[in-house]
Amino acid sequence: MDLSNIYDSVINGDREQIVQQVKNALSEGADPDVIISDALIRAMDEVGQRMKDGDVFVPEVLMAANTMKKGLEVVGPLLKGEKRRSAGKVAIGTVEGDLHDIGKNLVVMLLESAGFEVVDLGVDVSKAKFLAAIEEAQPDIIGLSALLTTTMTTMADVVKAIDGRVKTMVGGAPVTEEFAAKIGASGYAPDAVTAVDMARSLLV
Amino acid sequence: MWNKCSASNEVDNQSVQFRVLSGSQCRRLYNAVLEVLEHTGVEIFCEEAVDVLKKAGCWVDGARVRIPSHLVERAIATAPSRVVLSDRNGARRLFLEGNNSYFGPGPTNPTIFDLETGERRDVLKSDVCQAARLTDALPNMDFVMSLACISDCTPGLADVHEVHAMLQNSIKPIVTWAYDLQNVDTIISMCEAVAGSAEALQKNPFVVVYAEPTAPLRHSREAIEIMMYMSKKGLPLLYTPGVQGCATAPASRAGVLVITAADNLAGLVINQLVREGAPYIVGGVTTNMDMKTMIHCYGSSPEFSLMHAAMNDFIHFLNLPGWSTAGCADSKLLDEQAAVEYTLSIYTAALSGSNLIHDCGFLETGLSGSLEALVMADEIVGMVRSIIRGIRIADETLVLDLIDKVGPGGNFVSEEHTFDNFKKEFWLPRDINREIFRQWAKKGKTTYAQRLNARAKQILKDSQPSLLPDEKLRQLQALVDRAEAAKAH
Repeated sequence: MDLSNIYDSVINGDREQIVQQVKNALSEGADPDVIISDALIRAMDEVGQRMKDGDVFVPEVLMAANTMKKGLEVVGPLLKGEKRRSAGKVAIGTVEGDLHDIGKNLVVMLLESAGFEVVDLGVDVSKAKFLAAIEEAQPDIIGLSALLTTTMTTMADVVKAIDGRVKTMVGGAPVTEEFAAKIGASGYAPDAVTAVDMARSLLV
Repeated sequence: MWNKCSASNEVDNQSVQFRVLSGSQCRRLYNAVLEVLEHTGVEIFCEEAVDVLKKAGCWVDGARVRIPSHLVERAIATAPSRVVLSDRNGARRLFLEGNNSYFGPGPTNPTIFDLETGERRDVLKSDVCQAARLTDALPNMDFVMSLACISDCTPGLADVHEVHAMLQNSIKPIVTWAYDLQNVDTIISMCEAVAGSAEALQKNPFVVVYAEPTAPLRHSREAIEIMMYMSKKGLPLLYTPGVQGCATAPASRAGVLVITAADNLAGLVINQLVREGAPYIVGGVTTNMDMKTMIHCYGSSPEFSLMHAAMNDFIHFLNLPGWSTAGCADSKLLDEQAAVEYTLSIYTAALSGSNLIHDCGFLETGLSGSLEALVMADEIVGMVRSIIRGIRIADETLVLDLIDKVGPGGNFVSEEHTFDNFKKEFWLPRDINREIFRQWAKKGKTTYAQRLNARAKQILKDSQPSLLPDEKLRQLQALVDRAEAAKAH
């Protein structure tokens, strides 16, 4: 069956059309699994590749992800057997004393669009809150974000307290690869796009 | 060194300038900002400030504060329309009023390009000493910033050590930052020690502290506490949100202005409620987030310069002193791209008649600094100031007698009038090269960047900072030691 209209809608971020298109495909007898793998996910993978190639911009990626989600909402409940497997679970927040969350929010959006389950701990997250999140949310990865050179130093404390129980990822404008290595973080990403790749590679 | 004609945009005289926003556009923007403050409100994470606002008649719901328009209008009316900054010796130098424009370096970059090795490395306290000495000697730099967030000190005291370094190496006014209330108190105590007393500093301030709210519409405890401290002291406070279209503001140029102005006026209301008449400088770094790299654009964004200029039209409309950003680049090093970014941003900022223009010497989106780049910015400001000065049309400048005397086919090179005026009327380059090819080749075929590097080294070698008396140095050291001891606990 031709699912190219669904594929194209995701690529173009066309949220108006996608629900009807998926419904049409289902009524014509398309397999829900195939709609997901051959149209929705395949389109999102293509968008991800185009972003890396520098051909599309972040708002276009986010719109494509929203479109894919709308499609998934229609087709997801019809799946037989196990639910779609999440790419992994990430709990993420800005460190204590830092209210700057635009970078963290971008990482959240891009992780979600790449199929990760994300627990957003918000801003000004204390060490205790990060540690509690490990117990409560059982994430695979804890993500720490800081914009300020001052608050950046508190990352070391948190990473040390986590003590390798889960993987840790650090990021934010002043954070460098050397700094991440020095404090013993499992991964560092210079930007939100790379953060997704880093999260994937940490869970291989 | 002081440029006798530091003020670059003297619109009261015939001068080259431009406007981005008309008076009616400013009025409409102003009403939009009042509506945001009254209807949407802001978040203030400081109980003391929230209490003050509540008592004044704001509607408070937890941290969310909605500010009635009349309070904003009153704050604008009570804030001084001008701030005069002195040098370290108390001589009044920078008149932040009207369209006077003054330039200086930027703050809080974690790395710098080493002048000797060319290596990009962490910034040290010694770099701040050099940046301050260089700024002190550059004729078109009018105030000092640290060009650093230094790494070789006790964590959490970089701000204190930077001011310690700047006070000893330059007499130009200092614009600086602080981590928190405790550190701003140390910094101001240092400045008061140099001035001789708190009153002496208040009468002739040579320091401006800036605080940054977290756009959009959110004000951290640290920022508010620093601001209220300066307000209580009656010292100039600069409030400067970093606002990025597509990220912390709408993908709309006007939307960026609304957020910037709203956060500034929310700050002004608190500032004036704490102490009516406290000097307040309206800041804001207005830009867009690049939707491919997600960086906070500096000079590579033409809208960065345009929105700063528009913001300064709005600040002039409010009749308050204002702040702008220029001489800074997204380029990773001092190269052709950096030169383009520096030139366009400096020219636009000077045209806008903004009072304090910072970030000269920035590279890599403000994450790195360069002393050579600071020297380049200084030279570009010189060129731009010559343009901004405009052309005077008067008997003395039309010089019809001289034209008649020299007559058709004559030349003016040997005229006394030329001897008297050529330096005043036409800008002279320092490191921009005008030599013919053979001369330039004979001197080693240097690039501009190479000449800037040599110039920076030479200025640092030749310059003699005006030293503080030993007694003052001891007082400063004692204050630094006290801050160190407090951190150790």
